Amino acid sequence: MQSHFTSEIESLKTNLIKMASLVDELVDNAITGLATGNVGLCKGMKSRDREIDAYDNLIQVQCENILAIFQPFATDLRFVMSVLMINNQLERCGDIAVNIGQRAKKTSSYKELIDESKVIDMANRARKMVQSAIDSFIQNDIQLAKQVLVSDDEVDKLNKEIFNFLVNKMKSDSTLIEPCSHLIILIKHIERLADHATNICENLIFYIEAKVVSHPKISGKESSTND
Amino acid sequence: MNANSKIKVENLNFFYGPKKALNNVSIIIPDKKVTALIGPSGCGKSTFLRTLNRMNDLITSTNIDGKVLIDDVNIYEKNIDIVELRKKVGMIFQKSNPFPKSIYENVAFGPKINGLKEKNILDEIVEISLKKSALWDEVKDDLNKSGLSLSGGQQQRLCIARALAVDPEIILMDEPASALDPISTTKIEDLIFELKNNYTIIIVTHNMQQAARVSDNTAFFYMGDLIEYTSTQKMFTNPELQQTEDYIRGRFG
Repeated sequence: MQSHFTSEIESLKTNLIKMASLVDELVDNAITGLATGNVGLCKGMKSRDREIDAYDNLIQVQCENILAIFQPFATDLRFVMSVLMINNQLERCGDIAVNIGQRAKKTSSYKELIDESKVIDMANRARKMVQSAIDSFIQNDIQLAKQVLVSDDEVDKLNKEIFNFLVNKMKSDSTLIEPCSHLIILIKHIERLADHATNICENLIFYIEAKVVSHPKISGKESSTND
Repeated sequence: MNANSKIKVENLNFFYGPKKALNNVSIIIPDKKVTALIGPSGCGKSTFLRTLNRMNDLITSTNIDGKVLIDDVNIYEKNIDIVELRKKVGMIFQKSNPFPKSIYENVAFGPKINGLKEKNILDEIVEISLKKSALWDEVKDDLNKSGLSLSGGQQQRLCIARALAVDPEIILMDEPASALDPISTTKIEDLIFELKNNYTIIIVTHNMQQAARVSDNTAFFYMGDLIEYTSTQKMFTNPELQQTEDYIRGRFG
């Protein structure tokens, strides 16, 4: 017989996985639309995002109920806390996917500039990071989560590189100011997407290893723990 | 656990007849901190608590070996004055047990049997003790009322006042709030938080949330063994041992 607590936790996890699947689909459509110019993929994203928002609300209420009713400790407490945090990150990923989709529509006629600027490479990396973050949560795969943290540095590096490339383009050809401005906003969205994937993985590490690995530079501490 | 130690227990074994209830327990309990003892029923935590003021001496067919040092003095030495020991180490039980006397007499009882007769000093002790136990404001106008007429939560605070009246250094609490409603429980917990500034408190509780709320350090007992002893923060967020984790998560016991 499954305990009351276990069934509540299972239900919570199932809802988070359903939400993550929607986010994965939305991110995938947005970036595929951007990469292929098939902006039809970016239609209907807002209504999908509202489904994600509904899961966000549902999961918050479930977490609140579990904390109030069961007052969990140790691994159970960290699980509920990490679900709350991951829920927040996924909801933001959904919003960003919508933003990328909108920006993909506005930049679809500048395929050459997009290809030249490595935006697609950056977007694909961010998409892979989101997928890996979701997989690492579903499978409790700490190694995969740690790989995502490394990938974030590469995306940050690309962000700077592309930003400089676009600024130089604008300097050299004023007719490119508008598309380059769109792309600068776009890469900011992509960079944030990668950040949220990173946060999901940090939340997973907190759940599994009981370590806070966010913001390692604060006070010279590499991490905080309850060791 | 860097604070000064108040109690040092070394290789303590305890038997009820042939049955071993505590198995080679060693622990250092810091001064002016709250230490919670947790574990499933029959794990030895209450037995251990009672070894700290020799309450188990009252039970026949019990045996003990090992040392319990309070302020570096082994309380199981033959020359120990049990009355003095229990003045120094007070105890609060699960069920409040006021004497069938007035509130005043309940609190003054200990000092009186210790020979104190001056009314003004007794009055002062009663007032201070009732203030320390957060009961004064509720009973100050009716000190001659029977202690038994108080509510359960008030009776428990009266018992705490009675324990404080003999000026103890250590207070043992055996599930002091388990029979109380949530408001009375909160008052007792707030009181524990306040008292730890001046007393060393050891509390047995089955309520994990209560242990987490009130204590600085927590010891987990299982089948007579001290399994894990660490800061309460670590115990309830990231305990060292799987056995501890399983217990606090409600997986057994």
